[in-house]
Amino acid sequence: MSGIFGIFAFDEIWRVSKFVYYGLLALQTRGQEVCGIACGGSDGIVTCAKRGYVDQSFKENELEGIGGWYGIGYVGADPQNVQPVTVRHNGITVSVCYSGRIFNLRELTKRYNLPEKENESILFAKILASEVRKSGPMNAAALLMEELEGVYTVLAITDQKEMVAFRDSHGVKPLTIGSYGFDYGAIASESAGLEVIGADYKSDIMPGEIYLFTSYSIEREQVRAPQPKYCAFEYVYYARPDSIINEKSVYDVRVKIGEYLAKESPVDVDVVVGVPETAIPFAMAYSNATGTPIAMGFMRTGRHTRTAIKPTYFERLVGVQLKLNPIKSVFSGKRVLIIDDSVVRGTTMKNVIHLLRNKMGAKEVHVRIGSPRLVNPCPYGTEVPTRDELIAANLSEEEVAIVTGADSFKWLSIDSLIKAIGFPREYLCLRCFGGDGDEGPTHR
Amino acid sequence: MKVLLIGSGSREHAIADALARSVHEPKIFAVMSNRNPGIIRICESTGGEYFIGKITDPQFVREIGERVSPDFAFIGPEEPQFHGVSDALEEAGIPCVGAREKLSEIERSKAFMRRLMWKYRIPGRLRFKAFKNVEEAIAYIKEYAESIALKPARQAGGKGVKVIADIQAYLRRERTEVKEKHAKKIYEEHMKPYDDIEDKILIEEKVDGPEYTLQCFTDGRTVLPLPLVQDNKNAFEMDIGPETGGMGSISGKGFLLPFIEEDEFRESVKIVESVVRALEKEFGMRYHGVISGQMMLTALWGPTIIEFYSRFGDPEGVNVLPILKTDLVEISEAVISEKLHKMKIEVEEKATVVKAIAPQGYPNRRDLAKGHPIAVDERAIEEQGARVFYGSVNVDNGRLITGGSRAVEIFACAETIEEASKIVDKCVKYVRCLDGWGLFYRSDIGSSTLLHRRMELAELVRNVYRYRRSKGIIGIKIDWIPGVGKIVYES
Repeated sequence: MSGIFGIFAFDEIWRVSKFVYYGLLALQTRGQEVCGIACGGSDGIVTCAKRGYVDQSFKENELEGIGGWYGIGYVGADPQNVQPVTVRHNGITVSVCYSGRIFNLRELTKRYNLPEKENESILFAKILASEVRKSGPMNAAALLMEELEGVYTVLAITDQKEMVAFRDSHGVKPLTIGSYGFDYGAIASESAGLEVIGADYKSDIMPGEIYLFTSYSIEREQVRAPQPKYCAFEYVYYARPDSIINEKSVYDVRVKIGEYLAKESPVDVDVVVGVPETAIPFAMAYSNATGTPIAMGFMRTGRHTRTAIKPTYFERLVGVQLKLNPIKSVFSGKRVLIIDDSVVRGTTMKNVIHLLRNKMGAKEVHVRIGSPRLVNPCPYGTEVPTRDELIAANLSEEEVAIVTGADSFKWLSIDSLIKAIGFPREYLCLRCFGGDGDEGPTHR
Repeated sequence: MKVLLIGSGSREHAIADALARSVHEPKIFAVMSNRNPGIIRICESTGGEYFIGKITDPQFVREIGERVSPDFAFIGPEEPQFHGVSDALEEAGIPCVGAREKLSEIERSKAFMRRLMWKYRIPGRLRFKAFKNVEEAIAYIKEYAESIALKPARQAGGKGVKVIADIQAYLRRERTEVKEKHAKKIYEEHMKPYDDIEDKILIEEKVDGPEYTLQCFTDGRTVLPLPLVQDNKNAFEMDIGPETGGMGSISGKGFLLPFIEEDEFRESVKIVESVVRALEKEFGMRYHGVISGQMMLTALWGPTIIEFYSRFGDPEGVNVLPILKTDLVEISEAVISEKLHKMKIEVEEKATVVKAIAPQGYPNRRDLAKGHPIAVDERAIEEQGARVFYGSVNVDNGRLITGGSRAVEIFACAETIEEASKIVDKCVKYVRCLDGWGLFYRSDIGSSTLLHRRMELAELVRNVYRYRRSKGIIGIKIDWIPGVGKIVYES
């Protein structure tokens, strides 16, 4: 999983590195292992990409040393995939970052005479650079959208004062565009990335659409017909609740999910508790819909981490333990409903329920999940484990309840999720939720 | 009857067109800085003549005036007014619709305009500071400035304005740097050609809200408003991109815009009336011409003045002149004889949309935008029910060559703004660049998406200014500073 951010000032007196930094900070929820910034100006492109959190990787004075009035940035969850990648190819410098997965990159590599063993993002940067060199960024993007197989949002800058953004025709990954007065345009995986730098969200970049910023124009071309397959998991888990993606408020979807949980699988309890942070809106909406009191049941220690996307079991365990310190009086002697955003392997839930029963004195513990069963891994770059590691792919609801120690356990149904999101079913990628392979875009 | 028109843009093309529709069948004579094909055609078809030369040179224009001996002159753009062209013509006995040099100060000096509004305590004013040198401006920026508009103190062809919302404290250093650099740029670049005003840099408090233009005729005693128009300043679609002179504008139907209410319209007219009266008190002469308030509906005041024009807006003039039912010659005569109170302005009950088509490069790289041959299929455009007004183009050896700014404006009217917008969009393909260079325009102007955005924004600020009125704090800002106490920034 990853997030991308770009900014292009219309007046060269701006210095944008700090804006990219804050844009990435807002997108940190999309990837916490690597981050990078590349800025273009009169001295060409300066790139700086690292491992670690955005605010730990970049120091104030380092950012101030990066000049330039246009730039891109990346945050990612794969420690091996550091972006943006900057390459110099036939006299042109191009810096690229992308979110998603491209399946036929190795095949293309042969055609472009590139070494096969290279890192994928470097190969991608080189292919893009060689096309930009031949026919400019607009044509290069259009050509790649014909040739690439996969799911991607791409941002690139050149040393020719250009920034290009494009999104594959399925638009699985979100990409939004905004602006700040007469001074700069910005592009971000989620609208929260625009707002943090004072820009207003204007729209989404459509599936199959290219935006090109140059020092004298903004060109927009719909080069492929949109065939939306918006990632449903974004609405359940990945995107920030204060973001708008695909012109829909993530928060509003999460409220509806809570309402559908109340409708589908209500349970008579004394208190409902949302597991921080993502599931809080589900729990609030459930409470409002059923009249069940809501309480704050957990307090976090340390920074906000996305536990589900941590690469190793140990890191996930540490993350969960630090984020879920229970408040005893909320649970003691009560019948409790816990609402969480997802259950991947079930280990976290098992630990939490054990704690609530044995240490906090909960009388009953029921569990509702704001997402349908997670049964398939994601081939498009979202970190979902393999099928044999997914509890939902292997156990029924009753079995999960017994394994985790819950009195009852229910997933949200796929139909309710679709209704909560509000797009027609065929506009959504539901691969990870459904056994049906046809529900995602074509892939290998 | 003969009328002398000064100016050569699309606004003047629309003025010429409205004059030529008069029942008095005037011959139109024009003094232009470039060969505008639309105006040339009107001159020729009405039996008039045109002259090419420096329209800001009062002597040159006066000589032509004396040669033509028109019944009156109509001055389109602001620069001839700033240079005293009205005064020179009036001296030669040619009455003018177009502000005298002194009165045109309302547009020429943005600092004068702000001082005037404060002196006469006219509502809709903003707090400001004017600076004569760049060091003082920078010192002020370093110490105080947060969200501000930085402007050349003089009207500089609409260029050089920078509006900086400085809300995010974590980006303050970068934004302050931009403010300082831009203040320097105003001083060294934008103000460089002008030595006719002492103030150089103007800093105003930044306000938010939907903008609109109120264009009025005045004889110095009566102010007669035209329908409100809303211009779109960002170069590119969805309000993204650098500031332009205006990429297109909408009106109607009727006198209001979908996001401005009747009482807001009336208050806006009152503001313009107060300014016209204040100008008479200051200079002891009456304003004969067009005066436009470029306004914004803000939380601070409701109707608020951003700038004044001593003329029609461009493109805003092109929205209202084609639907003007009242005879423009008769309005002009009433302006000159100060009998405007006897006139009534009538317009066709239609919504209008004007969209500009510009060569790529406009507005930031006019060097790239200039010098491209274009072709306009006027007949095809008229078949769609729209009209063409020529802007920054020059007829050169029978070819149309771009001048670097907005080349052509296309006008359409219909029952709704959305319909008019669609008509214009169908016409865009009939304007082509012949050397392969790109042209651009904004299809979103007049779309329901954009209209809804303006309405939402208007509703936001309307709620706040009405709340402020109910609390008796309109036009006032109140702060409480720890250790200092309550501070009221009074108006």
